[in-house]
Amino acid sequence: MLAEKFTTKELMAVCCAHEIKNGELVFVGIGLPMMGGLVAAKTHAKDSIFVYEGGGVGGMSRRVPWSIADNPTAENALMIHEMWRLFSDGQAGYINRGVIGGAQIDKFGNLNTTAIIGDKSYASPVVRLPGSGGANDIASSCGETTIVMQLDKGFVEKIDFITSPGHLTGPGSRKKAGLVGRGPSAVITQKCIFRFDEQTKEMYLDALFPGVTIEAVKAQVGWNLQISPNVKAVVTPTVEELEIIHTLDPKGIMLGAKSDDEEDFNEFFQLMKQAYEAVELDLG
Amino acid sequence: MKSGKDKQISLHDAVEKYLPNGSSFSFGGLGARDPFAIAFEMIRQEKKDLTMITASGMDIANIVIGAGCIRKVEGAYVWIGSVGSGLNYRRAVEKGIPVKVETEEYSNYAASLRFLAGSMNIPFMATRSMLGSDIPKYNNKIKLMDDPYTGEPVALVSAANPDVAFIHVQKADLSGNGQIWGILMNDPTIARAAKSVVITCEEIVSTQEIRKMSNLTAIPGYTVDAVVQVPFCSHPMWTAGYYWCDLPFRRNFMLYNKSQETFEQWVKEWVLDTGSWQGYLDKLGQDRLNKLMQMERDNYQIPEFKA
Repeated sequence: MLAEKFTTKELMAVCCAHEIKNGELVFVGIGLPMMGGLVAAKTHAKDSIFVYEGGGVGGMSRRVPWSIADNPTAENALMIHEMWRLFSDGQAGYINRGVIGGAQIDKFGNLNTTAIIGDKSYASPVVRLPGSGGANDIASSCGETTIVMQLDKGFVEKIDFITSPGHLTGPGSRKKAGLVGRGPSAVITQKCIFRFDEQTKEMYLDALFPGVTIEAVKAQVGWNLQISPNVKAVVTPTVEELEIIHTLDPKGIMLGAKSDDEEDFNEFFQLMKQAYEAVELDLG
Repeated sequence: MKSGKDKQISLHDAVEKYLPNGSSFSFGGLGARDPFAIAFEMIRQEKKDLTMITASGMDIANIVIGAGCIRKVEGAYVWIGSVGSGLNYRRAVEKGIPVKVETEEYSNYAASLRFLAGSMNIPFMATRSMLGSDIPKYNNKIKLMDDPYTGEPVALVSAANPDVAFIHVQKADLSGNGQIWGILMNDPTIARAAKSVVITCEEIVSTQEIRKMSNLTAIPGYTVDAVVQVPFCSHPMWTAGYYWCDLPFRRNFMLYNKSQETFEQWVKEWVLDTGSWQGYLDKLGQDRLNKLMQMERDNYQIPEFKA
């Protein structure tokens, strides 16, 4: 049953979940992609296994991880590697999909998470960003990548720094560079989903979120955006999918809730305790 | 082999002896088992001009950067995961506040392979990561070349051998055999790559105890120079099987992290005025620590091995 009310972030997480196919070995980054992975794992992709950069394989926790090496990535795991070993498994071709994000993206799906350089320099940029983390490795070597990011001024003709390779300069360029993976297949934003043309490797608008127009999307994109001849409406969350999100992330942290007040430790303790007691784990 | 039956020293001496100003170091863990007690001691001893060699660094990396200990980061990521932005790192790189930080940029895998090369005593490793990206363009220590055997493109990264690694583990014996439960990050490899290794641990156990579950021994004592027992060493992060992550503490820290001025107030309150790690734990209070322990143990426990 489709839910009547949901937030945009919840819809994005669910769209991300729908990209993941059953039986895939999936590399998930932190934040919204991780929530997508967890929803998929509990619904249509029960045979998929999720791996995290910190080395956890198939972790099952009552709580969503807050980082790529957070304890829940390792709790009830099938095994725990060192980081270098897990990325080696990626480079060797075992990992079918990676889910990553970015601050800037171009039409070939190349991503920047290193720096907004602007009119300054790499060494002293306008905005320093986190850096690659494992995103470059995931984008380089996983079977394919799903990108999750905000549609805003970051959709530009030329990004300041290619942190994670998309389709680089177009058809054939990944292979020529020596990259193993097939590159990005979808970009999920808060307004729509983009996909990549098989021939040109260029991003096109594929599906819209409820209430969003093609014009509204085009206005945010810094190049002449290609539009699918039959733009679809995205599949919205089911009641079940929303329940999973609310149980795993009662504080909304994974989906970006920030706190502006001092938090009370005892309230937090009680809330997490209740959340833990509400979740049954199916450990197989 | 680094021999010795009793390698215990104090937290103060571990930092003073093994981390001179200007040296390079690595922290073990990430989001779990981060050695916060070591970081706080670095700040109390006003360490400076250090090079941090890492794959990814979170809260702990931001704190030592904000305190002005770091000149250079060799690594792939400095931020606070999904809890918040790496505002100290941003200030240091963008504006040189409080100290200009230079970044030698890698991906996580490449940064990890540098430790692997270091641990194997070979000069470099090859990878298919970073090809086609701008990372090698801004880091001339990454060498792009064609594989001499197949002609395919590869990227080479040099071995990393930090002067010292600080690695927190659940249990260790007095000669430094360290047992880890939960995430490993690159810690077994970093221990072998580093010139000196300081192990902090929740508990000191007998060597007899180590032998019972030797598969858990991730850090061999023969790589270890010093052992320091530091309960709750990773607060406000986790140590699996011991205590939960203190998320409200981390989120409250983010409020103070918004400016250098308020960050320094936070450092004064929690690091300097508390005087020692024990002083910090006393300020947190036993009730809070007990609840963090209880949350971890109610949720997840290190199983006992029974034949």
